[in-house]
Amino acid sequence: MSGIDAGVWYAIAADHDLPHGHIYRTMLGGHDLAVWRARDGTVQVWDNRCPHRGVRLSLGEVVGDELRCQYHAWRFARTGACSYIPAQPDRKVPGTIRVGVWPVAEAGGLVWTGRDPVGNPPVLPPGAVVRALAIKRPAEVLAAAVAMLPGLALTIQPLDAGAAIVRGIATDGDLVRADLALVALRRRLEHAA
Amino acid sequence: MTKPQIDPILWNDWHPVAARCTLDPLRVHHTVLLGVALRVAIDDAGTITVGREDGAGLLHEERYGLIWVCPGTPARPVPAIAEADEPDRPAILVGSVGVRAAGPRVIENFLDLGHLGYVHAGYLGDDPHTRVLPYAVDPLPDGGIIATGCKMYQPQASPAATEGFDVDYIYKVERPLTVCLYKSNPMYRDRFDIIYLFVQPVSEEASIAHPLLLCLPDGTTPQALRAFQQIIFMQDKPILENQMPKRLPLGDGIELPIAADKSSVAYRRWLAAIGLTYGVIPPPAKGARAA
Repeated sequence: MSGIDAGVWYAIAADHDLPHGHIYRTMLGGHDLAVWRARDGTVQVWDNRCPHRGVRLSLGEVVGDELRCQYHAWRFARTGACSYIPAQPDRKVPGTIRVGVWPVAEAGGLVWTGRDPVGNPPVLPPGAVVRALAIKRPAEVLAAAVAMLPGLALTIQPLDAGAAIVRGIATDGDLVRADLALVALRRRLEHAA
Repeated sequence: MTKPQIDPILWNDWHPVAARCTLDPLRVHHTVLLGVALRVAIDDAGTITVGREDGAGLLHEERYGLIWVCPGTPARPVPAIAEADEPDRPAILVGSVGVRAAGPRVIENFLDLGHLGYVHAGYLGDDPHTRVLPYAVDPLPDGGIIATGCKMYQPQASPAATEGFDVDYIYKVERPLTVCLYKSNPMYRDRFDIIYLFVQPVSEEASIAHPLLLCLPDGTTPQALRAFQQIIFMQDKPILENQMPKRLPLGDGIELPIAADKSSVAYRRWLAAIGLTYGVIPPPAKGARAA
């Protein structure tokens, strides 16, 4: 599993990946994540695993400001704390039942998280958010390669030891050109591997 | 030709690997049991042979329409089901369902009462009748567990049910990958419909479920019974394939059970007590401290 560095913000989704009611699934450094938007508009980045039986929460459902697991319909509030267990509706839910919640920042049309990230996420230049592209090469290899692409301000989301997602901004707003450049980069890097 | 023993409990037990009704003389049936590739063939006379893909023959038996294989030295016979001999109870195979989940996860799901009102909403339960009432779990004298006094309100307990009613359940786990359910039938007061689930361990993280129905005659055709159970199993499959970790954790604290999960807790404890290692994450050794 490729690690992620503590203290660093990583872009893991775009704002447009999170329409109301949708739970977006992604990975960061080997961690399975469930990303969703509560009714009040705030974005949540959670461990993608119900603490009860380990079912991926991305199978579940957004109910108002809560996320409901698909297996036993346990509900979890924005703090990650379990708020309701339908099998025992009259009992107080133990405070120990909670989902792991990650720090969140929204900036530049992207959603950022990380392990104990410090300060604010990187400031990207203005422009349009490009289509995210997964490339089967380690994050370090990608970081070096994307720095040389003109007109693109890119950031790397490590998925696991061998793959990462490239996200970022087309500074001239030309998304078609940006997409062609990223697809060409993927072809070059994956064939060189 | 000998393979290192994977898990003596499963290696020396019997497992279903095929149903006779699905075998075809023109096509060898290929499957995998405990990581060992097998071939199951039937000839025009209906004689079945089972062997490993590497050429070694294997003993097999046939019960309840299923072909059973023990890759090691059988520690006991194929599970005996007394009710299967009752003349008015046909044995109906539902059809084998491949599930990318560890066998013990599949068994635990079958035992689970709390999901009926959601995963099987409209059939085996319904919101807001989601409360799991207290039930008893006890050890069986020859190993395994029994859960008694389980009650669930079910809108459509079987194809024959015309209205919702409170259904009485008894669950029995007699072997690590065999579970059965005794369920009240609206037309009989003193007899139960019986549903067995045999899980073929393909690998530590993949299984084939072989459900067997031993239902009382209530006018439902075998086709309707099969179709109903296939819907139920297809509702569970995506849940099972999205449980992480894939293997069932037996240690405390990795997953958080509540009172309604009494049978799951007892099942996991029993697997830990007998020392099952295949398809599970064993608990930390006694005396070892959590890091």
